[in-house]
Amino acid sequence: MSTLRTEQQSQEPLDLIRFQLDEFVLVKLRGAREMKGRLQGYDSHCNMVLSEAQEFIFSEKDVEPIVKKTEMVFVRGDSVILVSPSTE
Amino acid sequence: MSTDPSHFLSNIIGSSVTVKLHNGVKYAGVLQSIDGFMNVVLQNGTEVAGESSRTYGDVFIRGNNGMYE
Repeated sequence: MSTLRTEQQSQEPLDLIRFQLDEFVLVKLRGAREMKGRLQGYDSHCNMVLSEAQEFIFSEKDVEPIVKKTEMVFVRGDSVILVSPSTE
Repeated sequence: MSTDPSHFLSNIIGSSVTVKLHNGVKYAGVLQSIDGFMNVVLQNGTEVAGESSRTYGDVFIRGNNGMYE
């Protein structure tokens, strides 16, 4: 019973982000922005620190997004929509 | 048979679900896990926004953005 419970707890969504530490992730943000970078850290608010980061700001369709490169960046959790492993 | 929301959500782990976000985008995939914030992890998540779609391996969706499944 208790083992089952710890198994379930270790399968919580935020624990699954832990497997992506030090890997490249794609973070989708509010305001039509995306951020790609190496995940250095995160917390329960989804605040994140990314290194070697690239920010993509999408404006109109068929227009290339604005890309900003940053060596190290902090992302406040409340603007996070989605986190996924990045191919890069 | 329980209809309590948290029971319902833990019962549907492993089945395929659709999560609709506040911004109108939907994500379909296999529900891998969910927590008390309603953070969700989908396996083979597919983004459905209008006619365009995009796939991810695993997708973590922050709880405040989800509307329903």
